[in-house]
Amino acid sequence: MAVSSTQVQFDSLFGLFTYLALTVGIVVFSFLIYLIIRYREKPSSRQPSDTPILGRSPPSRGHSRTVILTLTLSTIIIVPLIIGSFGAVDKILTPPQNVCQGCAIEVTAHQFYWQFTYSNGTKPYRTVGILRVPVEQNIRLNVTSADVFHDFGIIGYDIKTDAIPGRTNTIWFYPDITGNFTIQCFELCGVGHATMKGTLMVMTQSAYSAWYNSTVVH
Amino acid sequence: MLASARRWLYTTNHKDVGILYLITSIFLFAAAGVLALTMRTQLSVPGNTLLTADIYNQFVTVHGMLMIFWVLSPLAFGFANFIIPLQIGCRDLAFPRLNAMSYWFFLFSGVMMILSFFFGAAPDLGWTLYSPQTAALFTPTIGFNLGAGALILMTVSITMSSVNFLVTMLKMRAPGLKLRYMSVFSWAILITIFMMLYAFPSFLAAVVLLYVDRAFGTVYFSSIQGGSLLWDNVFWFFGHPEVYIVLFPALGIIADIIPTFARRPLYGAKYVIGAMVLVAMLSFAVWGHHMFVTGIGIVSTKLYTVTTIAISLPFDVMIISLIETLGMAKLRLKAPALFALGAVANFIVGGITGIFLASVALDYALRGTYFVVAHFHYLMVGASIIGLIGGLYYWFPKITGRMYDEKLAKIHFVISMIGFQILYFPMFLLLDMPRRVVTYTPDTGWGLLNLTATLGGFIFGGAQLLLFYNLYRSSRIGPPSGPNPWEAWTLEWALPSPPPPHDFDVIPTFSGDGTIRFGTSPGLPNGSGQPSGIGYPNGSSVKHDSSLLHSEGLSPWPILMAFAAFILFLGLTIGKPANPQPVSYQPFWPLIADGVILGVISLFGYSREKFTVHEDTHVESWPFKQVPNMKLGIWTFLGAEVIFFGVLIGSYFFVRTNDAAWPPAGTLFDIRNGFAMTLVLLTSSLTAIMALASARAGNRSGLIASLGGTLVLGAAFLYIKAGEWFSLGGSGVFQNYSLPATSYFITTGTHGVHVFAGMCMTVYLLANAIKGKYINGDHTALEHFGLYWHFVDIVWVFLFPLFYLI
Amino acid sequence: MNTNYLYLLIFAALIGETDIEVNLSSIIPAYNEYVTVLLGIAGTKAILIAMFYQHLRYEPKSLSTWVIVGLVIASLLMGLSFVQLHVGH
Repeated sequence: MAVSSTQVQFDSLFGLFTYLALTVGIVVFSFLIYLIIRYREKPSSRQPSDTPILGRSPPSRGHSRTVILTLTLSTIIIVPLIIGSFGAVDKILTPPQNVCQGCAIEVTAHQFYWQFTYSNGTKPYRTVGILRVPVEQNIRLNVTSADVFHDFGIIGYDIKTDAIPGRTNTIWFYPDITGNFTIQCFELCGVGHATMKGTLMVMTQSAYSAWYNSTVVH
Repeated sequence: MLASARRWLYTTNHKDVGILYLITSIFLFAAAGVLALTMRTQLSVPGNTLLTADIYNQFVTVHGMLMIFWVLSPLAFGFANFIIPLQIGCRDLAFPRLNAMSYWFFLFSGVMMILSFFFGAAPDLGWTLYSPQTAALFTPTIGFNLGAGALILMTVSITMSSVNFLVTMLKMRAPGLKLRYMSVFSWAILITIFMMLYAFPSFLAAVVLLYVDRAFGTVYFSSIQGGSLLWDNVFWFFGHPEVYIVLFPALGIIADIIPTFARRPLYGAKYVIGAMVLVAMLSFAVWGHHMFVTGIGIVSTKLYTVTTIAISLPFDVMIISLIETLGMAKLRLKAPALFALGAVANFIVGGITGIFLASVALDYALRGTYFVVAHFHYLMVGASIIGLIGGLYYWFPKITGRMYDEKLAKIHFVISMIGFQILYFPMFLLLDMPRRVVTYTPDTGWGLLNLTATLGGFIFGGAQLLLFYNLYRSSRIGPPSGPNPWEAWTLEWALPSPPPPHDFDVIPTFSGDGTIRFGTSPGLPNGSGQPSGIGYPNGSSVKHDSSLLHSEGLSPWPILMAFAAFILFLGLTIGKPANPQPVSYQPFWPLIADGVILGVISLFGYSREKFTVHEDTHVESWPFKQVPNMKLGIWTFLGAEVIFFGVLIGSYFFVRTNDAAWPPAGTLFDIRNGFAMTLVLLTSSLTAIMALASARAGNRSGLIASLGGTLVLGAAFLYIKAGEWFSLGGSGVFQNYSLPATSYFITTGTHGVHVFAGMCMTVYLLANAIKGKYINGDHTALEHFGLYWHFVDIVWVFLFPLFYLI
Repeated sequence: MNTNYLYLLIFAALIGETDIEVNLSSIIPAYNEYVTVLLGIAGTKAILIAMFYQHLRYEPKSLSTWVIVGLVIASLLMGLSFVQLHVGH
């Protein structure tokens, strides 16, 4: 079930990584376990011919082709990972230029709460704790901090960005369903770090417009 | 009893120092582990109130710092101290007293870190100490300053060790032991030390800047131009090589253990070593993956994604080689092998999950979550600690001469591995849970996984009691192990268990056909696995007057110097806040004075002590064949200084290029002062080199004049600088704490401290010159001083244009 | 060449270069070029001191590697953090 554009993109890329990771992991583990079991010392075990002895340097062992094979396979596996990552980060770091009125919101982190600022063109409207956005619209957030290094993350949306004093980081997303989602701080910022929470309230377009016109525009 | 205390406090023997490191780090492992279990208990159920947020934050920070700096590396270097000289065929490290001093600095720094708990609060912002929350404004506790002081002392210990081990391993190998014949453990340590030498000065610079920010109200890490990103860069530039620094020794141990127990050589040994070298080099180019979501831009994030994913390739080669070693083997699954293989298994999981985090796109979701916690614990505990425990069992017979209880060790292994998986695997599934939170609410649904992890934690932690019990009991009443219970083939197994104080009766020789000659015997009888020949009859240890030999090599100065530094740093960090705004701290002069006095006395005693270090002439020392040990040590140290000043200068560049409105040249600082200081210092370099020339020519008056001239010119430099600072203070430049003033003050100030240190050395040399020294062929002290002094001059050659002319 | 004489020659060069540095801003008005040339001159001074006063010219090359590696690594920090701040935003 699609929750947001960011979650969909994350799930698909994470899925690719997991699939390859499990494949590689299972192959390598099986190889390791197999060798341990097969070649563990038993009464019937054969003495290897190249057991080094104290007093002589150990003989050289191994083929360069194993190294080449390992590197080639590894490269083949990581190329789609890099390509997928590049494609995904291109999307993350190119926020949409034009968003609806009320869909561009400033997020300011404080010790220990989140402040959201909407602009209606004339003067800004500040609210604390609850970030209201309309569903099925591109939402763009400019995130900064008023004091220390925080990190703004939306649980379930698989998106976050650092909130750094003096800098503004922009993230964006497209919510697919209405509902409430937890906002939390993901960088240790002091004693209130664990309680520094907020709510992303995704509303229907009409409910959002109603709220926006009655509250922000005022 | 008293004799025993005297031995342990004054020892400089590498085996003793190794044991001291091992025991201390095991204790601190237990302490940091208790912190962790307390945190896990707090997190086992939602809404728990066992720990307040304040205490929890301190615990999580100190747990991390202790484990990384006071457990993982010292455990590794406990082994390195004991085993490396044995593996490379020398009798001790290049600078034994420096080695002892490293240990005592390490110990006192650990004491200081623990003391921080009792001064308001220990550091409580994670071992990563992000800015600007570490500024005095946000964290005014004195305990934090103590923590910073502890980190600086610890870094000094590490730098001393790096220089020592590098000189030893590069210049004191047994004849014929070319670098390529060294065991993989030795190689791993060598590579680790290279990384330490070049990474830790960055950390030192960062912590020094942080300390100065807090103590004097400067704004490097709390300004907008510097701030969070400056700290992130300078810290993680160190931080990433650091995680390989704590991993590589364990990998080296694993690479020594697996072949031994598989009864076959390591597969692709030269590729494993090559892969380690490659990782070490690349490790300095990946740190940005800790900054993926800070806003560094699309070019940088893609660059770091590529370098970070690419660094997995050499690791693939290492792991495949270790696994291939088991092919057609005769694998003895004793405890060391079990732990080594378990570490490989955990490494595979940890390494693969690292690739997830290497993708900037995935990091936008995973940053700051328990997925990261799981990833690095799989490596730091699962690979590093498990591997180091393998080393404990592996080398226990060599160190104590007794065998541990194998059955108990196997039980320890099974319970540890099971507990480990239960503890850390659930954390991968907690990829929505933030790190370092004291608690969480029930509606998150994170309770079950957290409870599971806590149970795993107690199983894993409890299992270590089996380790402690096994090692303690076996060290008292374990059966004698003999020199080579594992039928291994690295050089340490040729010696008795434990080795005599002087290690080798005769340094062995490695010949080109691969045989090792001990004494005058022609090599080994076939298949015996045990060297015969002078001094090594099977199973017995060599009789020597060990008490006589042991009383050589005792020195009180290492511990006294370390204690002096400890007192000095306490004085620097224990002081109460001075101004309310901006917060800064008063130095506590009584302790500072005591520390300085004791330090001067110790330095004096150290230099006057007749401590002989026997330098064998026939050693393997490529590529430093003609270079004496001390000179090599100094150049090594200067390499580290390049990084230290490089980071200070780099920080200046960083804030300056980040600031549109920087005052043009000549407006803030008078160019004439800079010009005068440059001329003075350049002239002092001339006088310094003339001093050396005079000494070489046997010209006493020329020597004294040149040294005197150097001293006067150094004083003139500091005099001009003092005048400049007074006038800047008078015109209010410093008090506004602007970055142009701050960066100037810190960078040229650190340089000034180096000039002052050089002048102290000059006084010492001058006193000796007046007494008639150095003109009869022993002028190396002058040469060494010159190397340092010219380096200080070179730094100023760059500081002058950077601060006065642009 | 008599070594003392060499040391004096190097010293003269160092002083001369310092003089140039101080006057360079009037010779090269363009700021970026000025900074580049200035730091280049500083670099040559450093090399002279290292080669002749620290004797590196006559030592095995391996001894220079310590500082060279340090310089490479330090440049990596400065270079990549510069890219972070100013490239690709």
